[in-house]
Amino acid sequence: MKIFSKQRPEIPIADHVRPDGTAWSLKEKLFLGLTPGEYMQQFFRNPVNWLMIAVFAVGVPLLLQRYIYGLGAVTHGSNDYPWGLFLGFGLFGMVPLSASGFMLGTTVELFGRKDFKPIERLALLNGLLGYFFAVLFLEVDLGMPWRLPYPMFVSLGPAAVLFLVAWHVATYLSVQVAEVLPAFFEWIGWLKGKRAIRKYVLALTVAGIILSTLHQGALGALFTYAPSKLHPLWLSVNFQWIHFFCSSIFAGLSMVIVASTLINRFASWRCDDNFKNNLDYITIGLGKGCSYALITYLVIKIVAVAHDQEWAYLLTGWGSYFILEMVLAVIIPMFLFAIGCRNKQVGMIRFAALLAVLGIVWNRLNTALFCFNWQIYQEVPHWKEVWITFTIFALYFLTYRFIVYRLPIVYTWKGEK
Amino acid sequence: MKKTVSRRAFLKGGLAGTVAATTLLNSKSSEAAGSFEGYPEGMGVLVDLTRCVGCRSCEAACNLEQGLPEPAKPFDDYSVFDEIKHGEKRRTDETRYTVVNSYDVPGMEHPLFRKVQCNHCQEPACLTSCFVNAYTKTPEGAVIYNSKVCVGCRTCMVACPFYIPTFKYSSAFDPKIMKCIFCYDTRLKDGLPPACVEACPQEALTFGKRSDMIEAGRQRIKMNPDKYVDHIYGEHEVGGTAWMYLSSAPFDKVGFDTHVPKEPILNSVKDFLSIVPMVLTIWPGLFVGFHLLATRKDAAKKIEEEKKEVKS
Amino acid sequence: MRTRNKLLHCALALAIGTALSGPFTANAMDASDAPDLITIDSLTNLYGPVEFDHAMHADLADCALCHHHTTGIPAQDPNCLRCHATSGEADTVACADCHTADRFNKDYLESLDDPMLYHVDKPGLKGAYHINCIGCHVEVGAPSGCQDCHVMNDSGQQMFKTGDYAPDPQDHNNGGH
Ligand code: SF4
Ligand code: SF4
Repeated sequence: MKIFSKQRPEIPIADHVRPDGTAWSLKEKLFLGLTPGEYMQQFFRNPVNWLMIAVFAVGVPLLLQRYIYGLGAVTHGSNDYPWGLFLGFGLFGMVPLSASGFMLGTTVELFGRKDFKPIERLALLNGLLGYFFAVLFLEVDLGMPWRLPYPMFVSLGPAAVLFLVAWHVATYLSVQVAEVLPAFFEWIGWLKGKRAIRKYVLALTVAGIILSTLHQGALGALFTYAPSKLHPLWLSVNFQWIHFFCSSIFAGLSMVIVASTLINRFASWRCDDNFKNNLDYITIGLGKGCSYALITYLVIKIVAVAHDQEWAYLLTGWGSYFILEMVLAVIIPMFLFAIGCRNKQVGMIRFAALLAVLGIVWNRLNTALFCFNWQIYQEVPHWKEVWITFTIFALYFLTYRFIVYRLPIVYTWKGEK
Repeated sequence: MKKTVSRRAFLKGGLAGTVAATTLLNSKSSEAAGSFEGYPEGMGVLVDLTRCVGCRSCEAACNLEQGLPEPAKPFDDYSVFDEIKHGEKRRTDETRYTVVNSYDVPGMEHPLFRKVQCNHCQEPACLTSCFVNAYTKTPEGAVIYNSKVCVGCRTCMVACPFYIPTFKYSSAFDPKIMKCIFCYDTRLKDGLPPACVEACPQEALTFGKRSDMIEAGRQRIKMNPDKYVDHIYGEHEVGGTAWMYLSSAPFDKVGFDTHVPKEPILNSVKDFLSIVPMVLTIWPGLFVGFHLLATRKDAAKKIEEEKKEVKS
Repeated sequence: MRTRNKLLHCALALAIGTALSGPFTANAMDASDAPDLITIDSLTNLYGPVEFDHAMHADLADCALCHHHTTGIPAQDPNCLRCHATSGEADTVACADCHTADRFNKDYLESLDDPMLYHVDKPGLKGAYHINCIGCHVEVGAPSGCQDCHVMNDSGQQMFKTGDYAPDPQDHNNGGH
């Protein structure tokens, strides 16, 4: 794409019409203004796509196996370990990484920080896709995926935490669709739709905060159903929901930093100057937010240990593992963010963000898998389970890239708005 | 369908919708928060480890009654007591709703045997964690499950403190939760004792009203203070269970988890459930307030501009 | 392992029956009034009948060991003595006369609600036999495996999936994961 965008002035597409005044057709928009031949050519030139093809070549048959022979054929899910990687990573990991939508929605729309506007849409998209794929992971994991709507419409168990999660994730998914739709309407050129949504931005944003607070917290609260199974250092019956909510703040922000870094680096042809020139400034702003959230998180983690009188556990093997997690996934990124923001070292902030993203995934896996059943035995996921997880994640990556290449996410639409 | 309405209102009206949702959710979480004592007339079983001789008759009877698949070994094969998987003794699974395990207790001449099955909690964690209401605690005391509405999320398995519900991982088209149902359909609902109780030659399993079983347990302990540990496991564990145990060895020596909470599992979730209505009511006002504060300069500017326009 | 297996086997040891219903009506009876051999055959749905040598057991132990306060020497246990010091010999001494065969029957369970009733936790007939017999057999080292006293019949084998109905190990050697 880089080459094409240098050779041809009309690419990348950012308007309904070419410089010469003829309109782009939808098909041309989909092919990024290239002919199908050119499109395929550039597609296969990219080594990342070959990697994707390899992942899918194995992953798709594995998925088929899962749907024909059941979960037992591809996972180590057992009666002691009902939840594995699909939920441990796919649901518990993806959802905090997708908190970006409501975070930046709040910053820009509610707090009026228009200086973060250039990244708002990316954050919203990141949120939408994260949630969508979390639901997809759930679909792979559910015993009876065809019954997904049951908790909403067929048989309601409203006193259960998961009921809250289901409703809030579903509602929030629609809120996020509504929030990302304006970009789509600009792209297809249906301005009425955009204006209609514009009216509700404030309501949507407030709804987003409420739903996010509750379901991010609810994911944590799910583990309070297992007070005797999850290691006490990873479970605080009183504060679990706050831990999950608070960590989702820096997780979501860090994920946007990582995503914007990648896009800026590998798809810079798609970014406009507004995005590129503001990115460093915005990254520092986000980094500042992360460091505050991280210190809060660290404090409430310690408060939880003190509140439940769990100091003695810190001296055990589990305690060392806990301290390791705290150092690598919380304290180091926290300092890197702080130093990076102080000295305006954007590179350091970006590295810290990567650490924080990996750290939060690690924390969720610890909670859901590794420190679960700590009094009996530890389970290692089946390789097929790992591969399927990668496959769905690859699909997430491809969808993400597909949309960023096309819709006005990291660039401003030049046509009528 | 009330829910859909509130959702739509939510998206549209923000504050107004939220209030509606609050009242809705409020009533629900308070229902969850109100504790449920279980049915006083419910039935129970008192399992006396000092009487059990490990004959596995209960396992055989359960297999027959519940139409479960053929076991790997005959029910009179006692080598199963030496089976160890993942460092653990045998557990219930999709082919067996109950198992008997043997424990060598230091200082005791003979091993003790412990039967495992669903304990039919008074306030079951499986039930309260289920978001499609697949579980029911019947007035007779059984905790039963409806596979017709189950989506297979397996939260009940995470929530059950006794690791009881098991999942048919081997099936893609008809997976379901499998666990002891107190022989509800075939026996309990007609006032009959479950198959395993009837099969037990030693009357190690005593069936009766739960309250009577507690009384009987107390009497046995009182009459034989040297024989029994002074505790009925299940009288208070996780808020009380319909199946309870007496033992001559400390419970943690014979495979019981003595660290399960004394309160129903739901109680540890209440902290979160109680903040739900708060977030729903306070957040909208709070954040709209923030918004107005944060953007008041813009608003002031706008007014100025309008004034200017009017003047000119 | 052997002793443990024996102990295990003893579980289904004695067949249950209402058979101990001989003519025990006279007062001040002694062991010779009882039949020498009693056939207990109430578990015949799963096991063959038990030939219980009453005469031999009567030589080995006091009547009261099995018959509690109903016959033989007076009760010793101070708790029993509270009521049975003067209750004298019972009219009937058969196990089944006090230990009901249908222990968990609804009406029987209801009857336990009587606030004046002391014996609310009395084992049923099957339980009474097994608890008493096996307890003693284990203590004195007498045979205590299930089939030491009663041999499993065809329907027993069917229920226990053993003998002719034993599972084919071939079907089960893949053991899952
Ligand atoms: S023992 Fe487990 S499965 Fe049984 S009622 Fe209690 S929580 Fe439910
Ligand atoms: S109550 Fe019924 S289902 Fe439960 S273990 Fe006993 S026989 Fe099996």
